[in-house]
Amino acid sequence: MNTITRTWNVNEEERTVTFGGLHRLLDVLREDLGLTGVKEGCGEGECGACTVLINGDPVTSCIVSAVQVPEGAEILTVEGLEKLELGRRIQKAYMEKGSVQCGFCTPGMLMSSYALLSRNSRPTEQEIREAHAGNLCRCTGYEKIVDAVRAVADELEQGTRSTV
Amino acid sequence: MTQQSDGSFRIIGRSLTRSDAEDKVRGKAQYLDDLTMPGVWYADVVRAPVPCGKLLGLHFDESFDWTQVVTVKPEDIPGENIVDMTGLDMPFLAYDRIQYQGEPLALIAAPSKALAREAVNHVRAEVEELPAIQSIQEMVERHKTGLADSLRLLEKKEIRRGDAEGVLAGAGKVLEGEYWTGFQEQLYIEPQGMAAEPMESGGVYIRGSIQCPYYVAPELMKVLNLPLEKIRVEQTVTGGAFGGKEEFPTLPGGYCALLALKAGRPVKMVYDRHEDILFTTKRHPSWTRYRTALAEDGRIAAMEVDMILDGGAYTTISPVVLYRGILHAALGYRCENVTVRGFVYASNSFPCGAFRGFGAPQAYWGLESHVEDLAEQAGLGPDEFRLKNCLQEGDITPTGQHLLTSVGTPAVLKEALRRSDFHAKLARCDQGRPGAKSWYGIGVSFFAHGAGFTGDGEAKFGSRAAMELGRLSDGRPGLTLYASSTEMGQGAKTVLAQMAAEGAGLPFDRVFYPLPDTRVVPDSGPTVASRTTMVVGNILYHAGHKMKCLLEEAAAKHCFGGASVRLEGGRFFAEGVEARPFEEVAEVLLAQGEPLRTEHQFALPPHIRWDQERFVGDAYPAYSWACNVAEVEVDPLTLQIHLRKITAVYDVGRIINPTLAIGQLQGGLVQTIGYALMETMQVRKGLYDANRLQTYIIPTALDVPEMDLQFLEYSCDELAPGAKGLGEITMNGLAPAIGNAVRRATGCRLCAIPMRPEDLYATLYQGAKD
Repeated sequence: MNTITRTWNVNEEERTVTFGGLHRLLDVLREDLGLTGVKEGCGEGECGACTVLINGDPVTSCIVSAVQVPEGAEILTVEGLEKLELGRRIQKAYMEKGSVQCGFCTPGMLMSSYALLSRNSRPTEQEIREAHAGNLCRCTGYEKIVDAVRAVADELEQGTRSTV
Repeated sequence: MTQQSDGSFRIIGRSLTRSDAEDKVRGKAQYLDDLTMPGVWYADVVRAPVPCGKLLGLHFDESFDWTQVVTVKPEDIPGENIVDMTGLDMPFLAYDRIQYQGEPLALIAAPSKALAREAVNHVRAEVEELPAIQSIQEMVERHKTGLADSLRLLEKKEIRRGDAEGVLAGAGKVLEGEYWTGFQEQLYIEPQGMAAEPMESGGVYIRGSIQCPYYVAPELMKVLNLPLEKIRVEQTVTGGAFGGKEEFPTLPGGYCALLALKAGRPVKMVYDRHEDILFTTKRHPSWTRYRTALAEDGRIAAMEVDMILDGGAYTTISPVVLYRGILHAALGYRCENVTVRGFVYASNSFPCGAFRGFGAPQAYWGLESHVEDLAEQAGLGPDEFRLKNCLQEGDITPTGQHLLTSVGTPAVLKEALRRSDFHAKLARCDQGRPGAKSWYGIGVSFFAHGAGFTGDGEAKFGSRAAMELGRLSDGRPGLTLYASSTEMGQGAKTVLAQMAAEGAGLPFDRVFYPLPDTRVVPDSGPTVASRTTMVVGNILYHAGHKMKCLLEEAAAKHCFGGASVRLEGGRFFAEGVEARPFEEVAEVLLAQGEPLRTEHQFALPPHIRWDQERFVGDAYPAYSWACNVAEVEVDPLTLQIHLRKITAVYDVGRIINPTLAIGQLQGGLVQTIGYALMETMQVRKGLYDANRLQTYIIPTALDVPEMDLQFLEYSCDELAPGAKGLGEITMNGLAPAIGNAVRRATGCRLCAIPMRPEDLYATLYQGAKD
């Protein structure tokens, strides 16, 4: 079988991985890199549980072939969030606002929140909902997830004001 | 959003952060598929190719190297080839008759998923196909035309109060309506997954994503030919369930156990989503017919209900779903003459099973749609009719139960109508007004949910739970709780610990609720029936109180020189000396080496009486009550139904954790938006036609309307600390509230859910009348 070797920046660390040519990014993350925080919910890019960021863009890693991820790419998964200030804030808001129930959609949901807030610190309600529309949650009804994202956005805005 | 809690509690009534939230936001929570299992093999299933038929033979392709895999055929089953649920009609592996497409015929384990699948593809089932029943419409047609004998009846039951038939026969006008509901997939985001491995001591250790560890173990005794103590079952972190992991996991748990015992190694099976939708349980499709006579003063004189559920291929737990269905089908309004007849017939599709609400959402789709027509007949508004007739404290239910305590009606109804400004908005409904750009409508529903097992089931079951003083994972002293209730997202781990901590007089962070393991936890019952907070919470609250007494006694002896000691808020108090913190005292007690453990068994209030044969008496120990108001706008051109606002008021007894309670309510309501408006599947050529997330559409963050939610706390004082059921009642009533709103918007009653634009079109324009 053809194998491919790639070096990526995964959660702020250089990681070199060798994988079969047809492997999904999801499998390489979970099985080769041990990042089991990345979840498989549907295997066809519909539920968003496997969402990770590649160079800041959210992708569903179950429908990305690992070979498509270029050498040197920056990959961020749920495990890397706590290394980042914004990531920690979002995690804390999810805990405090009750945005987590069964937790299976949470890793993907958090990545969509991070992708949104890292680019738009003052999203409207509609923008928040649109940014998470690719992540299915069957437990929460989404309200407390939207609440958490709004709370972080408010916090960011106040932070900006206080430093001005 | 909730009313003020009782000030006498320290921990109950507070929105404490879930104890599992941190692991989950850090990606550290280990679900079944995240666990490392050295040497694990993967299970797959050879499935029946037709929905109904006779199995003539299974052919294993000789060109395939079968030594690479392990197979289990019916003749390899060590015990009886049977799934031991409510009914005993389902074989573990079909060997003669095939009753649904996808029915397991043989099991295969292999070192990789791909090889297991390849092996499955090298097995051919030779079958003689027979005619299949594949829709509830077909079932109802036969039932109505006297051909019911041609169907397999799985269960029937009747409720009878007064003489409904007599009153209806003499009534001037009888209002009649028929209502239909479809399949619904639970769609937990973590797919089904189980694993099993042989134990050195003999027997098998089964783990997985489950609601009820004590269902899996006894249900597998017959097939595995093992005594209960040789089947250890442990829950792994569970990514949602909603009933879908209630009885079903016995199947994949058994597949893995049979293969693991034969292969002598661990075997796991994690369903992919396609397989999970095709070959797991769904909510029962239903048909209800109401025939009602009104008295001249606008009261209900008599009501007769027939209910049919499509049970799928085998009995499984359908009788219990039917009981809950008929117990709720006429539960809402005063009426002295009520007959409810319920039937479950078999079809040739995957057995239907548990789903949040458990028959009650089907019942209320019928009742609350029908009541809308009754109101009109009585010349009253839908709000006025409900206020006039709704059950209240002191009233009697169809089974003859006097509603005496914790009855949050008519309060929930009044509050929801007030908050939504219902009466004023009713006048603005468009009723399909020609020329309008958008049709506005508002609708209401009023409903209940019985909490706990039916009747005296809880008394007979006698759930137990325990706790013990020891060290928690942080190395500091604390209580570990032992109960079989499962955390599946709903917050049981947190809420049960809150109630135990309250009882024990300890801080929340000194109480730990682990994942249940049948090797160590007593049977506190399944995590079903909106019973966990009310029943198991009650047990742990009392066991906590016993622990408080035990700790006080031991502290008095070992730390306070025999003085009288009081434990409160994590500190020990005695007269004349300084209070000492729990942890300091607990260290001394732990050093004594004597186990400090308390246990408690649930007791129903003694006045609860139930006749399971006749279905007479106190059907449930307590009821939750609620009112939903839905506001919609319908596009006259596309007939798209836009749900704009939900107002919901609930009495679920005392609220233990307000944030978690609201989260349950929001989640349940949004799941019901899917049930009412989106989620569609039918059986076509033996299989569900919507079998992927591309075709089975559930609500996203963009489908959620404005929600105004309120709890009214009518504490259930007989069952301290007073919680009633919350999980399921969230799904009981939103669909008819939306249906009633659509009727006011368009002038057109839809009798079936889901309500899609094409259904509205068919009813509006193709001759069907309101």
